[in-house]
Amino acid sequence: MVKFLSDEWIEIGKKYMLEKLDPVKDLKSITTSLLGVVEHIPPNDTTMNFYLELEEGKLKDFIVNTGDTFEEKEAAYEVRGNYGTYKSILQGEMSLGIAVLKNRLKVKGSKMQALKLIKPLDGVIVSLKEITDEFQD
Amino acid sequence: MDSNSVILKGKTSFKEAVNIAKKGTHCGMCKFDFLDSGLCPAGKKHGFLAYWPQGRMEIIKQLDSDRIKPTRALKDIVNSCNLCGFCDKQCNFTTQLRPEKVAKALKEYVEGLNESDFHDIPEDDIIKGLREIVGERWATNDPVIISSYTMTIIPKDGELNYYITMPETTEQVADIVKFAIKNNMPYQPRSGGTAFSAAAPTILGKGLSLEKGIIIDLYRMRKLEIHTDSQTATVGPGITMFELQKEALGHKLRALAAEAGAHVCSNILTTGIISTWGNKYGAMADNFIDLETVDEEGNIQKHSDWERKNPYSTEPGFTNLTLCPSFIITEAVVKLHPVWDDEEAVLVPFENIRDAYRLLIKLGKRDVGLSLAVLSRKYLAEFLSPTLQISKDFDYVCKNYLKLNYVVAVICNKDDKKIVEDMVDYTIGQSLMKSLILGAPRFTKLRDSEFMKILSEEEDPLKATFAGPMRSHLEKALDPSPKNVASVFDEDLQEFFTKVYSKPEMTDIVWLHAFRILPTRMMRQQMFMGPGAAMWTGDEDHYLNWIKMFDDLGEKYNLEHSLGFIAPLDQGKFAYMEYDYYYDHNNLEECQRISDCLIESMKKTLVMGRSFTILNYLFKGIHRKEHLLYPIPEGISNEQEELFDELIETVLGD
Repeated sequence: MVKFLSDEWIEIGKKYMLEKLDPVKDLKSITTSLLGVVEHIPPNDTTMNFYLELEEGKLKDFIVNTGDTFEEKEAAYEVRGNYGTYKSILQGEMSLGIAVLKNRLKVKGSKMQALKLIKPLDGVIVSLKEITDEFQD
Repeated sequence: MDSNSVILKGKTSFKEAVNIAKKGTHCGMCKFDFLDSGLCPAGKKHGFLAYWPQGRMEIIKQLDSDRIKPTRALKDIVNSCNLCGFCDKQCNFTTQLRPEKVAKALKEYVEGLNESDFHDIPEDDIIKGLREIVGERWATNDPVIISSYTMTIIPKDGELNYYITMPETTEQVADIVKFAIKNNMPYQPRSGGTAFSAAAPTILGKGLSLEKGIIIDLYRMRKLEIHTDSQTATVGPGITMFELQKEALGHKLRALAAEAGAHVCSNILTTGIISTWGNKYGAMADNFIDLETVDEEGNIQKHSDWERKNPYSTEPGFTNLTLCPSFIITEAVVKLHPVWDDEEAVLVPFENIRDAYRLLIKLGKRDVGLSLAVLSRKYLAEFLSPTLQISKDFDYVCKNYLKLNYVVAVICNKDDKKIVEDMVDYTIGQSLMKSLILGAPRFTKLRDSEFMKILSEEEDPLKATFAGPMRSHLEKALDPSPKNVASVFDEDLQEFFTKVYSKPEMTDIVWLHAFRILPTRMMRQQMFMGPGAAMWTGDEDHYLNWIKMFDDLGEKYNLEHSLGFIAPLDQGKFAYMEYDYYYDHNNLEECQRISDCLIESMKKTLVMGRSFTILNYLFKGIHRKEHLLYPIPEGISNEQEELFDELIETVLGD
């Protein structure tokens, strides 16, 4: 059982992406970084974030932090949403794209640029879907 | 228990009711009293959609498909209906359906069940929390009530993991939003649900629906105040355009007119009010003085809050597509406009679109008239005809004998009427339009007559009909009377419809333009989708080629299709166009074709450029039209075309 946003989630996520994803085929050789801010985490209504960095389709960094900012690195994109939305995405109930189009995930910056990212990030989402099977209720 | 239910569902009356319900198009016309026939007492009292005729029609479908089982609420819904028949009168006027048969069949079904057949639905923490906010009566997790919202916010398949809540105040809406956030529940507001119902069977259905969570039904927020000094109205989200217009007319005022059943606040939010009155009264944010909104964090704000970040601008372009409103409008202060004593309707008939378009844009640029539009033959036939068959025959006669394919419809004062009349050779005035409405059944019977054959052999049948001696013969042949037009309705309703058609407003073209009770006739037992957009009018050929593109796609996808209307905006610099595709919403293959047609028409429109499509303005009605229309957009690049494909793929999902 791997719990969303746990240290184990990061470790297994990293391993899974490095082993299973092809940088060219799956991640389209993309170079980008993303800060996912997860708000309203039960039971205490806390906020956490995860920082994910890809360089030419290879996973460079994947870190979880508390709070809604990550001081060490500045991400190219910030995607903000509540815990329930991330849960729906990781349980396959909603796509990343629909979550953005329905304003469930707020993108800092241009929506056009963010939409361009959706396809390359599909591989990451699929990986995280595969490994995440426990959530806070 | 189940076998009893199966037997009851096998009864002829139940099956007939299911067939009626399947033809329903969720037009929502049973939720306001547009014929002065009375309003469903159960719906008015209980609020939830399940208690309205429209909701009962959805429930019987859901029972038939086994998506739901009987609950205690079903019993209450059935018992709340006293079979008064108001719904038959309203629904029959627009769609020729008889929803009372559905109500009767549901009663029979429920009466045939045993007490043990009704399930109890336990309260959970979410419903308890919602009831604390809105009161015991106004929140439910009952699957029967929930299922009645299918196709108007809930998709037709899938689990019914929803809660419905009906707040009464802005504060309650804000508290519901905060509660939803705290409990990580998705939520979505709902007013009439008519926009969603048109989109539900198409590709847009999945993206626009709520997949689970809390539905905030805004029907109870029914504030409506007219301020004569400022010529404004304060309107709650439960108020329909018809209700606002009726109240405003009592003060000799008029609102920018959306369809009668559109809810004013949600229409502003969804697409902005798109109307034939837009050239004079404006579009998008022109239409309101102020809005009270609840944002995604549950904060209550007003547009007029001076410290607020500019709410009138938005990122331009099609990639700023949003499938969900950013705010819930809980109150709007909308502009009203004076109604003049000398207002009249003038219609100018045309055989070809170019001539009609040219006159329309000329009038738009000169700022002539209050309401301005090119209406297609099909539009006119649908509106004026009391039944579907008569509309088809009406269309046939206009096309094959009169060569009447378009009219430029102008609502104006007497000075502007003179300008219009000076610009053209002949017009159709109020008196002939009245005759066409009251004589529609006779008009269509002329289809194979000698009279029509003689007319069609004239060099200019339109001129012969509307400017020559044939005009008086035609009016005489129509034998227009309320009784004549009422005779085509079911026998038991004929007396009622004779009274309805005796009312002056039912043949008053100005009133009909302002109250817009007739467009719902386009949804007579089938659905339509009007992928409209606005286009710059500076290049006539470009505009007309755009219409031709929609026409060609209708042929390609084998859909019944027709231009709906063209209406100028912004002093004729742009013109909004609605092109309509009609389809059977129960036919999955046809739904796929309409979806493919929509995608292709959107893409081609974007490639053509100088236009803005539904992708550009969906849920953007609260912004200034200037931010949406300008700069005049060029056709999209190859790179943007690829992005469009990705966007559509995203909307379509897996």
